[in-house]
Amino acid sequence: MKSIFVSVVAASALFVAGCGGSKAPETAKEESAAPAAAAPAIDEANAATVTGKVSFTGDKPTMRNIDMSANPKCALAHAGAAQKSEEVVVNGNGTLKNVFVWIKAGVPDRQWPVPGTPVELAQKGCMYGPHVIGVQAGQDIKIVNDDPTNHNIHPLPKINQEWNESQPPNGDPKLKKFAREEVMIAVKCNVHPWMRSYIGVVNHPFFAVTGDDGTFSIKGLPPGKYTIEAWHEKYGTQDVEITVGAKESKTQDFDSAQMKSS
Amino acid sequence: MSDQEQDKDPVLSSSLSRPLFIWSALLLLSLGWGLWDEIYGTRPWKSYQAQFAKVYTAYLRRVRPHEAGFEKEIRASADYRKLDSEMQAAEKTVSAQVAEIDRKVNQELVPRILALNDPFQEVRGHIGALTYQIETTDSESSKNSKRQEIAKLRQEKHSIKLPGDEKPEEMDFGLMDKTLQDMKNEKAQLLQQRVEILKPATELRAQREKYVSDRIADVSADTLTGLITKMQDFDIHIRQIHIKDVELVDRCESCHLGTREPVTLTKADIGSEVFVSHPNKELLKIHDPEKFGCTPCHGGNGAAEDSVLKAHGRHKFWLWPLHYRENFEAGCQQCHVKEIVTEMADTLNSGREIFRRRGCMGCHRYEGFDREPDEMTTVTQQIRQLEQQKAEWTREIGFTTDKADKTRSNEEAQRLYQHANDLKVRITGLDAKIEQADIRSSDLIREVKKVGPSLKEVRMKMRKEWIPVWLEDPHKWRPGTKMPTFRLDPEEIRQIGAFIWQSGVTGNLPSQAKGDPVKGKEAFETRGCMACHSMGEGNERQGGDFAANLSRVGEKDNYDYIVRWIHNPRERTLPYCPFERRDLTAEDYKKKGLPFVFDMDHDKCPNDGHELQVEQMTPMPSLRLSIDEARDIASYLMTRKHDNVTYAAADYLDDPQLKSKGQFLVRYYGCAGCHEISGLEEELRIGTELTKEGSKPLERLDFALLGHEAEDQGWYTHKGFFEHKLQNPAVYDTGKEKPNKFDRLKMPNFNLSKPEIDQVATFLLGSVDSTMPERYHFDPADQRQDIIDGWWVVRKYNCMGCHQVHIGQTTVFMVLPRYQDPDWKDQKPPSLIGEGARVNPQWLMRFLTNPSLSDTDANRDGVRQYLKARMPTFYFSSGEIQKLVRFFAAMSSQAAPYIAPKMEMVSDQERTMARQLFSSEGAPCLKCHMTGDPKHDARATAPSFLIARERLKPGWTERWIVHPEMMQPGTAMPSGLFRRDGERWVFAGPTPPSFQTYARDHADLLVRYMFQFTPEELNRLRASAGAGAGR
Repeated sequence: MKSIFVSVVAASALFVAGCGGSKAPETAKEESAAPAAAAPAIDEANAATVTGKVSFTGDKPTMRNIDMSANPKCALAHAGAAQKSEEVVVNGNGTLKNVFVWIKAGVPDRQWPVPGTPVELAQKGCMYGPHVIGVQAGQDIKIVNDDPTNHNIHPLPKINQEWNESQPPNGDPKLKKFAREEVMIAVKCNVHPWMRSYIGVVNHPFFAVTGDDGTFSIKGLPPGKYTIEAWHEKYGTQDVEITVGAKESKTQDFDSAQMKSS
Repeated sequence: MSDQEQDKDPVLSSSLSRPLFIWSALLLLSLGWGLWDEIYGTRPWKSYQAQFAKVYTAYLRRVRPHEAGFEKEIRASADYRKLDSEMQAAEKTVSAQVAEIDRKVNQELVPRILALNDPFQEVRGHIGALTYQIETTDSESSKNSKRQEIAKLRQEKHSIKLPGDEKPEEMDFGLMDKTLQDMKNEKAQLLQQRVEILKPATELRAQREKYVSDRIADVSADTLTGLITKMQDFDIHIRQIHIKDVELVDRCESCHLGTREPVTLTKADIGSEVFVSHPNKELLKIHDPEKFGCTPCHGGNGAAEDSVLKAHGRHKFWLWPLHYRENFEAGCQQCHVKEIVTEMADTLNSGREIFRRRGCMGCHRYEGFDREPDEMTTVTQQIRQLEQQKAEWTREIGFTTDKADKTRSNEEAQRLYQHANDLKVRITGLDAKIEQADIRSSDLIREVKKVGPSLKEVRMKMRKEWIPVWLEDPHKWRPGTKMPTFRLDPEEIRQIGAFIWQSGVTGNLPSQAKGDPVKGKEAFETRGCMACHSMGEGNERQGGDFAANLSRVGEKDNYDYIVRWIHNPRERTLPYCPFERRDLTAEDYKKKGLPFVFDMDHDKCPNDGHELQVEQMTPMPSLRLSIDEARDIASYLMTRKHDNVTYAAADYLDDPQLKSKGQFLVRYYGCAGCHEISGLEEELRIGTELTKEGSKPLERLDFALLGHEAEDQGWYTHKGFFEHKLQNPAVYDTGKEKPNKFDRLKMPNFNLSKPEIDQVATFLLGSVDSTMPERYHFDPADQRQDIIDGWWVVRKYNCMGCHQVHIGQTTVFMVLPRYQDPDWKDQKPPSLIGEGARVNPQWLMRFLTNPSLSDTDANRDGVRQYLKARMPTFYFSSGEIQKLVRFFAAMSSQAAPYIAPKMEMVSDQERTMARQLFSSEGAPCLKCHMTGDPKHDARATAPSFLIARERLKPGWTERWIVHPEMMQPGTAMPSGLFRRDGERWVFAGPTPPSFQTYARDHADLLVRYMFQFTPEELNRLRASAGAGAGR
């Protein structure tokens, strides 16, 4: 009797357990595979602007002359004066050229419209021009060879896919793009090892490169709190937190002395 | 009434209905329970199947619209629509023709054929029957009458009206046959024509479908619909794999229903781990479950289906429990036992590598590991047998000749002379065999390596005071080192130290000038040292973990010795004679009047002619550095030390009284398993053999006092035993009364991390007597065997520290911070993926023997002189070189031996053209490839064309110049140099005018030119190419 009772109890226990075990699992949450929200136009009415300059502090480094004797066609282009390395270019007004300034964090996560016009990267006199460019992820980069010699364009990304393509003298321009955000991608030419350029690839349109006056301007920013970063190939980066309100114009300066190499 | 009360009849008066009711209720309940148990209780898989049907259908329904939408998008794309309209257009242009053919076939020919077929068959049947009767009849007259009957039948006319004809036609049998055949031929012709006409449209349709399938990752919406329909008829039954000849029944898929579904199911998809897909479809493709089952790899009891516990075999009555996730790859060793590297089994491979590299094999025998000493015994034995055989045959030749001389019959004499002659020839065959065995035997002396450094050299190399500190706890001094921590008491440390110190050899060690540590640091970081050695401690640590971390070398080593070591790590102080079992000294040579010189070319014992050990038994190669550079690196290493560290004086190491006790301890702890130690060179292993440790009966694993605890905590298993032992090798001494320390467990602590323990445990768990029959074992008779053999050499010398050997592998250089810089990226050693297809094996053999490829200038790399890192000299044995060359050939599916394809000579005109192209501004070849001009070569990033002919294979070379980015994504060699023009490749840049009339393939031309390249040609190119030569 007892044993039967035990079996019955055990059986019912098992049954309950069995039921528990076979309970239908929670169905995985329906994935909201909503197609990327229709690309929103920048809300011009409320957009804020951040402008500023990147100053250079310290002793101005002397840049080395680039020795192009290995390729006379290149040397010829600089027959007048030797080409200086563009690693650090300090402008006449004490500002730093070729600094990539971009909103590193805080930009609303959505699909920003990709500009249809490509950004040009030229090879002229066996130098890349401009030395630093910024593009949006997916935006075309138009690579032009204006030299009477062969170049190869070899970007060295760590996130995006690497490639290395030959471009014959005065050859057809190449249209290339990078799919993913990456700051920065170094570009080199294996034939002319002194050639160097940097490409900043950003998911949104809020970036700028300092020019001959060392200033930058980032327009059309939605109100919000952001991390803004200035990047320089030699001095490293400087991150600043910034909050902008609707239609606000804010000034944010950077300084080479504040930059840190990572 | 009272009477009645008195005569109360129990049968009448008392009711049993209550107990009856209770009992029958119980009976009913137990019947119910029995039924339930029969149907569900002992068949838990039924509920799993019901659940699967539900969740899987739901999942399929959920993803289908998404997939369909996705496909709709593809179909809406411009590319697809273009393909579609092209296809439609192609179909339309031929539709009239096709319709005409269809009409003719279906409405004219087919009805006519059918109409004629019946009367024809009838006559044919009749003739057939009569023919049979002729064959079976004996009477000749009867045969003749039948023959006449047949002739009559053949001539008989039939009036047949075929559809479409105006009036019936009179036909005899022959005409009917011919008409029918003609019509059938016409039909076939028309149908063939139809296929031809539709071909362009069919091809376009295939292209269109491929466009869609190329863009669908997993399965199409149609497949999903098919699966949903299939699930509607889902039937609950046991699903089993039965492999008759192995007597294997695996019912795992009765619950694990998603394993082989075409849709990839994850836990997130389907909500339960039970139903997920097999995570490695490629693996499953190689090991088809219909042929291999599940349990041979995974463990568990495949036939059990009445509970999860039993099916998984995780109880003490089942010998092969299901492997846990971290040990999955243990199962590979059911069949893959001879390998050091098994593809797709990284955990197992790491476990094997730890077993090998950390020196487990120094104490524990494991078949296949450290096999050189075993092979040495076999080879020596073989030589002895061959020599015996030779002596026997020689004697037999004597007897036979003797007998022949004396025999009476000439025939007999001739037969015997012939036999004697045959034996002579066979002896020459033995000589060849003995020669090979001799080569193998001297190879083996070179191949035997030790895990740890030679302790014979301590007096030359070390600071005495450091030794006791190290012995106490090597991991305290150098975290993560190979040397394990022994549980030594201070007295033991003194004794062991004294023995080691006093047994060390002494010899000539030249005093070295100081080097430049700054240059030395640069050289250390770029020459390739860090592919094996690491530098820096804690988070600062960089470099490989194959060899020692050198962060504190300056505290312990002697500078002069380190210079010698870096200059040539294989240089020994004294040679060792295995026959005499001792190190020879200068005295031994002097006695024989010989100079004290011992190296690869002087490797025979002056006393007895036996092969000597003339090298340090280290895998460390020589980088062929100049003595100055060796001094720089040594000077840098001597700066690597902690500040303000003091070591207590250790003069007691010279106490001779401690020495003999020390020798006992060194032998007891098995130090000679990993180190070369004077007097203990021929020591045997002290540990248990582990080849089949995983299938040792559990009761033979000594859990000691922890058995009950292990059972309570659920680790009374092989896995539990191994893991606890590896984590703390003394764990099974816990609570034991062992006053004599030599009774205690002596396995030292390797301080393995949790993942490392998992890796070694996986290796040990899989080290079993295979349950699979022999023919399942992976013992290929083809090139794959070369791959198995080659991996042992590749691992032994850590080729993978510098080179990518297989796809997906990371080298040390790929992660070193310096090599992330764009300027340093191309300084990484080359990838060896596809090496067998790239290089000529004869060349590879030469290169591996002498990577400088020069007899006069050893201080260079033979191929890539522009690399700071340099291919070192490993002093491979000939056997190792053969294995490596075969390995690379097999990895690239190259036939062996290699026969270079015949190449068409370049014509004078072609040579001029190629020359013009090479030196034109549009072709950058000579800007990156070495030219022999030192100024130019300092910046070069690719090898000289001069070695192409001997080094490369032409087919590979053409594939490379056309698509370098396919072979090595990210290579310095630019892609896009050629473009496709019809059936040929043409140079993409501007070409010299001579090319305009050249109709042949440009890539082929350049390859042929390259393979006929000469130094004179290079000079000529350098002279004409102002640009590239860097004048």
